Amino acid sequence: MKVSPVYYDEIFNFKGEWDMPSACGLKIRTLNGKPCVIVTELYQDNPGTSVTYAGRKLAEQICQAKGLDINDIVYLECNPDTNSKLSFYDEEFFAVDFDADLQHRYRQLEKCEVIKISDK
Amino acid sequence: MKPFKLKLIYPKWQKLRGQTTFNLPPHGPVAFAATLPEWVDVSFTDENVEAIDFDEECDGVALSMMLSTQVKRGWEIADEYHKRGKLVMAGGISTMLHAEEMVNHVDCVFLGEAEGRMDEVMTDWVNGKMRKFYNYMGNLPPIESVGPCRRDLYKRELYNHKGVQMVDLFHASRGCRFSCYPCAVSYLGGRKFRPRPIDKVVEDMAGIENNRLFIVDNSLAQNKEWEKELFTAIAPLKKKWISHTIEDDPEVLDLAAKAGAWYVYQAVYDTSDYIKERVKRYHDYGIGVEGTILLGLDNQTEDDIKRLIDFLGEIDLDLAEFTVMTPFPHTKGYDDLLRQGRIFDFDWNHYNAGQVVFQPKHMSPERLQELYDYAWKSFYASESQEQKMFRLFCNVALREMEEGTYRPRDRRLANKSFGHDVVRNIKHAVV
Repeated sequence: MKVSPVYYDEIFNFKGEWDMPSACGLKIRTLNGKPCVIVTELYQDNPGTSVTYAGRKLAEQICQAKGLDINDIVYLECNPDTNSKLSFYDEEFFAVDFDADLQHRYRQLEKCEVIKISDK
Repeated sequence: MKPFKLKLIYPKWQKLRGQTTFNLPPHGPVAFAATLPEWVDVSFTDENVEAIDFDEECDGVALSMMLSTQVKRGWEIADEYHKRGKLVMAGGISTMLHAEEMVNHVDCVFLGEAEGRMDEVMTDWVNGKMRKFYNYMGNLPPIESVGPCRRDLYKRELYNHKGVQMVDLFHASRGCRFSCYPCAVSYLGGRKFRPRPIDKVVEDMAGIENNRLFIVDNSLAQNKEWEKELFTAIAPLKKKWISHTIEDDPEVLDLAAKAGAWYVYQAVYDTSDYIKERVKRYHDYGIGVEGTILLGLDNQTEDDIKRLIDFLGEIDLDLAEFTVMTPFPHTKGYDDLLRQGRIFDFDWNHYNAGQVVFQPKHMSPERLQELYDYAWKSFYASESQEQKMFRLFCNVALREMEEGTYRPRDRRLANKSFGHDVVRNIKHAVV
């Protein structure tokens, strides 16, 4: 279940839950004038916490590393297509809203929205 | 160092309704106990088979927990000991999965694998310097450091059903290189397969008095050469064992059979010829098959589930175990369903893989629950679970008789089941 490098520009190493060494794919683009951070789950090549479970903790580490303001970004989580025959490993993008008090809010992107940010 | 009396507890959980209940001697607590320094004197209670004596003298308490359905009971136990002024440490799989909440209920949360770590933890404890967290996640000990479990801590008569000793659990590896949708093992034990050295496995296995084992490794089918070496090395021990998946390769299956493979847990996830042939190939080598069937995945409609249940009747499974999709933390299933806002129940007591806690994609939660119940009833309609198990038991007993390793049931315990009095069903008392 190798993730294609077309999904990321770099591998971003981060501290996951309980500071576990973790990794995700990272791409930063511009969308509607805002930095658009796209984190991609690497599955077997992520030794630690998933991008979803890491959530805001991961976003903060990326913003710190890249000099971004977490309140002024579009943040997307990507489940990459892994060529699995199982449908739950199909490609999906979710916009994450960190403003929610306790739980993050997620919205799955429509196909047309995915095309906008896609440069695969 | 002055001896430290540690009360080690494995909390009870509610068993699934409608299923035959068997209590196997738990593996986590005795694996943990083996890592403790010599000056720690351990007293073990598995609450599934005996009541906890909260007034038993001890210097501290350790909770070992594997299942999500154990954690809330673990917290109640911690509360009881806190009333008695005792400090409580927690560790194990579900402690790691639920660590954020665990920290609110116990005095010390141990994350990671215990080998090589307990000298530090216990020394801190006796010196009054125990930390709230010992975090070894992502810092796994060398697999060579995994030694034999403290099986001497088991009260054997409590893991006996009508005179028949339950299997001992055993592990030949840790970690997993697969990232399966509903599973957290790769998060817990690392995303690399970590096989134990074969000589250590053989030495450990040879030291177990029980002739019947359950090799609990996530999947043995992760490194074919190691698997072949393992089966060749353990064959002379003449143990009979249950395991999860074995490599689908004639040479490996042949070696497994010669090494004592009794039956395997094999996922049945579709109605393909591949599955049908896979089951047949196990049977061709004399290895039984318990199908594990996960219901409620997003790619299953009601009709798919019914078709899958019908299909089980065509593939000659020896046993079947049905579960409903359960979004355990740190699994892809959890991430997906959380993002989609489909998890409606976060009561960990309900995370027993038999209760629907999320909104299925193609049906209501109630309908999935009905299909789950229907699956159990349907599969065991003509022959009960206990009768099918008895047939598997006869198979292994016959093989043991041929090899001269059969041990008759313990007649003194013929009227006992896991420590409780029972009436024997005479028509089953043939062996």
